[in-house]
Amino acid sequence: MTRRWGYAAMVALLVGVHFVLRISLGFGESAPDLLTVALLLAARRLRPSVGAALGLVLGVLRDSLGVGSFGADGLAMTVIGWLGGRSRDWFEGGTPLFIGVYLTLGVWAHHILRTILGGVPVDSSIIGALVIGPIVGALYAAAAGVAAFLAYTSFAAPSR
Amino acid sequence: MAGPYGAGRENRRDLWVSGFILAGAITLYALPTRYQTPLRDFVRSTVLRPLFAFQGDIARERGERAALGDVRAQRDSLFAVSAAQWGLAQENRDLRGLLGLRERTPADFVAAELIPMADLGVESTFLVTVGSADGVAPGAAVISPAGLVGVLRDVAERRSQGIDWSHPEFRAGAMTSDGDSYGIVEARRGRFREEDALALVGTPFHNDIPAGTRVVTSGRGGVFPRGIPLGLVEGIEEADTGWRKTYLVRPAVRMQAVVHVLVTRSDAEGALLRDYSAIWAVPAPPDTVTPPDPAQAGPR
Repeated sequence: MTRRWGYAAMVALLVGVHFVLRISLGFGESAPDLLTVALLLAARRLRPSVGAALGLVLGVLRDSLGVGSFGADGLAMTVIGWLGGRSRDWFEGGTPLFIGVYLTLGVWAHHILRTILGGVPVDSSIIGALVIGPIVGALYAAAAGVAAFLAYTSFAAPSR
Repeated sequence: MAGPYGAGRENRRDLWVSGFILAGAITLYALPTRYQTPLRDFVRSTVLRPLFAFQGDIARERGERAALGDVRAQRDSLFAVSAAQWGLAQENRDLRGLLGLRERTPADFVAAELIPMADLGVESTFLVTVGSADGVAPGAAVISPAGLVGVLRDVAERRSQGIDWSHPEFRAGAMTSDGDSYGIVEARRGRFREEDALALVGTPFHNDIPAGTRVVTSGRGGVFPRGIPLGLVEGIEEADTGWRKTYLVRPAVRMQAVVHVLVTRSDAEGALLRDYSAIWAVPAPPDTVTPPDPAQAGPR
């Protein structure tokens, strides 16, 4: 199996695990947001347009689970996928620390976009809804993403 | 700065494609609901179908593993409400007699298992394992032995999705169990989900509702039948300058504990007009009109 397919398999696995943990097993927000992590990791190796398309597909999948504001996650994930693809031009790096910071900012940005597009009323509680909890959630998701990334790199490293 | 995949023409083409995809995403977002719903149903019935099937298996497994006592208690209560419809009249009469439920009003519900949903954008929603084939329709009330769980929004053939009482769009016509004060119950989000509560808004300013008063559905609005418990008043939240008061209500139902539920059937005649206070031993308000019980009128 080539590295490219191995990476794609890791991304697909993250997507599958996300839905199984959050929906099928009902862990909800106790489980990290692996869907956004999968998109961000995939987008680093894709063209921005392909990252945006992948984001749209994954976002529509998540939108289809809900009962309101259909398309909000599709739009948010499209933007995040495009930004993830563009990030290769802006930042170089493949260290766990870099990946961790990248995933944290990406998941947080997605949460902000999704919340705003979801029609949350803008009042004094919006800061709490966009900052405190989401940052913790983003760190949690980033930790899971870094772990998956490290597992992939150790698995994909050429044997000596 | 040029990207690693080449500059110039290829980048411009990529930008055009990206713009096209973004426009598609915006169009999807801005589509009217009547066009979004078929798309959502299509994705659910194709790509997400294995996920829902797996989810159903998990729900059944979860139901089987739940504490036997809890399951028995929930089953007994649900059975008491729904059994009369299933043609098991004699057996049910015996069971209800043993459980002291003889006088309870037969209702128009179908039993289901509830699967909570929890992801970004689907918080406070749930699936139930019944659909249009079972006689339920959008707007059907979902209840548990503790009280009102929520209301159905999307109904497929064998599965439905609804919002629970903690959803921002949840509203229910409500009253105190003594029928003294009427209002609307809506959700109040806590800092953590465990702190989610309800609020009884729009009650008359001159009525004081003491803490501990039970709040039930009023039957007004044509969505929920009357007499289903919503919660207990905890205290006043705000008084609106002499016009009305808002009270915080501790919900009767904790979603984490709900596995088995009943859903009102759309084909049940007059279900919305009945009063279910007796099922939860809530004293019926003085203005309640009780229809004749067919079980008592017919031969026993």
